[in-house]
Amino acid sequence: MIELNELTDAAQKAFPADSLSPGRDESWRLVAEMGWLMVRLPEEDGGLGLDREASAAIHFEMGRVLATTPLIPAQLGLQAVLASTIPARSDWLERLAGGEYAPLHMLPASVLNGTKGTLSGTVGGVFDADMAVAVVAKLPDGYALIPTDAPGVSVVERPIWDTSRRLFDLVLDGYTPDPDLMLTDEAGAQALHDALAPEAHLAIAADCLGAANAALDMTVEYMKVRRQFDRPIAMFQALKHRAADMKIRIAAAEALLWNRVRDPEATLTQCGAAKTLAAEVFAYVTEEAIQLHGGIGLTDEHPIHRFMKRAMLNLQLCGSSDLWNERTGREALEVS
Amino acid sequence: MTDKPDLEALRSEVRAFLAAEAPTGWRDASRTQDDFVRTQRDWFGRLVKAGYAIPHWPASFPGGGRSLAEQKVIYEELAKADCPRLLLSFVSTYHAFATLHECASDEQRAQYLPRILEGETWCQGFSEPGAGSDLAAIKTRAERKGDVYVVNGQKVWSTMAQFADKCLLLVRTASDGPKQAGITYLLMDMKTPGVSVRPIHQIQGDEEFAEIFLDNVEIPVSERVGEEGKGWAVAQATLASERGLTLMELSYRMRGALSRVAALIREHGHEEDRGILRDFGELVTQVDAVCAIADQFLDNRIRGIERIGDASIVKNSYSRALRAYAKLGLRLGGIAEQYIAPITFGDLNTGNWMADFMNSYAWTIAGGSEEVQRNIIAERMLDMPREPRAWVA
Repeated sequence: MIELNELTDAAQKAFPADSLSPGRDESWRLVAEMGWLMVRLPEEDGGLGLDREASAAIHFEMGRVLATTPLIPAQLGLQAVLASTIPARSDWLERLAGGEYAPLHMLPASVLNGTKGTLSGTVGGVFDADMAVAVVAKLPDGYALIPTDAPGVSVVERPIWDTSRRLFDLVLDGYTPDPDLMLTDEAGAQALHDALAPEAHLAIAADCLGAANAALDMTVEYMKVRRQFDRPIAMFQALKHRAADMKIRIAAAEALLWNRVRDPEATLTQCGAAKTLAAEVFAYVTEEAIQLHGGIGLTDEHPIHRFMKRAMLNLQLCGSSDLWNERTGREALEVS
Repeated sequence: MTDKPDLEALRSEVRAFLAAEAPTGWRDASRTQDDFVRTQRDWFGRLVKAGYAIPHWPASFPGGGRSLAEQKVIYEELAKADCPRLLLSFVSTYHAFATLHECASDEQRAQYLPRILEGETWCQGFSEPGAGSDLAAIKTRAERKGDVYVVNGQKVWSTMAQFADKCLLLVRTASDGPKQAGITYLLMDMKTPGVSVRPIHQIQGDEEFAEIFLDNVEIPVSERVGEEGKGWAVAQATLASERGLTLMELSYRMRGALSRVAALIREHGHEEDRGILRDFGELVTQVDAVCAIADQFLDNRIRGIERIGDASIVKNSYSRALRAYAKLGLRLGGIAEQYIAPITFGDLNTGNWMADFMNSYAWTIAGGSEEVQRNIIAERMLDMPREPRAWVA
């Protein structure tokens, strides 16, 4: 059994803190070599059979370095195939665990049935689709693996502010789904979504909090070096207290994240709430971080803005704060 | 979340006890000081008898020796049943217990711990008019004369000192050297000649705190905890007790008390108001996070991996959430909460939101203000430089 701190140590060695957003292709090779694609795959399917805590620990470290490697959608895509009974299931699992990329889309799809069983429309929010062999997407008849080189399928990049990631639309134009690649039917789609969604929330929450910690570290280091009025600005209580507030809010969100990661019975709403808190805290920390960096924080050459851009994108993944806060409030009202 | 079988059994046991014995109408019955003291003593006595008053004490005491998970179950159920907090015995069962358990002599322990279970209450004589956040600046002076210390000075912000039998007292026995070094820790009987207490009238109409005046008070040397001049370390044990279990209990109580906000939402017909549901959901998550961090802190303490500053983080998280809780209740309650109504003496959950809101400041100021905690976090955890200490006019 791999210990959690071994995983964390290995991640920190492979992705050292002083190198933000290392190159995507070499990162992806490294991720595959380290076996991280197999972390949540059961041993009987050739994986490592580790729990949510292990994958959250890795996502936390990937957030810390603003990783360019799309591990979260890759793991979710793999789990969708794992949950299916498609004829080539074991073949696909082997390929995906070995480093072929088939992400789950992270934003809603808008796909309509066309004539003769064809589909047209857009599957939004596919990370790094340019390197994908297939995309796991929700179609009108259920979740499907859609090969990116199939006729009627194209990937269109939607350039984003977040410089650590690349986002694409999967555009379908008269695409005919392969029945052998249907992961669920229409009825099973909701069940698969509900099974994968907690995992997605916890992964994004871990990414947020790893990154929030790194943004805080960077800000505190800057405040110790930057001098005004003959002393480091870290000495001024008014500024020091803002750094302490960031630390307090990160710590509370982290405690909630690990609590939910370790609770296999945490509900989807509870995981969504943990993600919402983590993403809100990440956004707050980056806003403070830019302000505390002063003018340099507004320049492209200083990396602090990259944290803010990732934070703002993370807020939009898997449903907004408004949605999850409302759901949390509604459920709490029902039980109390 | 479902419990493990043994916890489930405990939960049903506690529920059965509370179904039969949870006090009702205690808010109305705690509106004068005398009534408050009576209802508190009564409830404490019944909880001691049932074995739920001191789950954090060792197993050698009735009802003690509970695991953390068991303690959480008990606190959750007490909160859910809306029982009164054990305010009057709070200092006794946490601060006095921690001090006696960790630092006192066997004789002192044997003498005082059983009496707490019989209802003897303690207060804390730490803060002084000139020594709040800068606690080591205390001036109350003790001079040793034979077998007694003769104590002169003044204490302030002593919670419920007006009802206390005994006092955990910090005094200065030397003034040369570092200011922490000359502090001595004494156990004082509140009926000793020369002790007088004046309650402080607070902004919410309560008298939870008091001043203690000490005029040639003689305290036997046998009532000293630890060595002379080494009281600062003992005081840390006293204060640390507040930061672990207490915050866990309070966090779970606040989690349970969210039902009061839910009741307001229903009462005012806001069940479909999405804005209000969002605000409520945000608060629920915030309180869940406080429970999680209080849990984590206590788990770490038990495993011996507490870091400097961890306690400050937990305390600030709790006090922020408490303020948010009281503010949402105050907002949803509308104008009704602005009418002065009789309040329950000395509770954070009085049934009156304006009083609770005002009371929430007790947590952002008492026990080390928010600002002091932020300094600790910034300087000790984030390693940021201290401001120059000397003040030059």
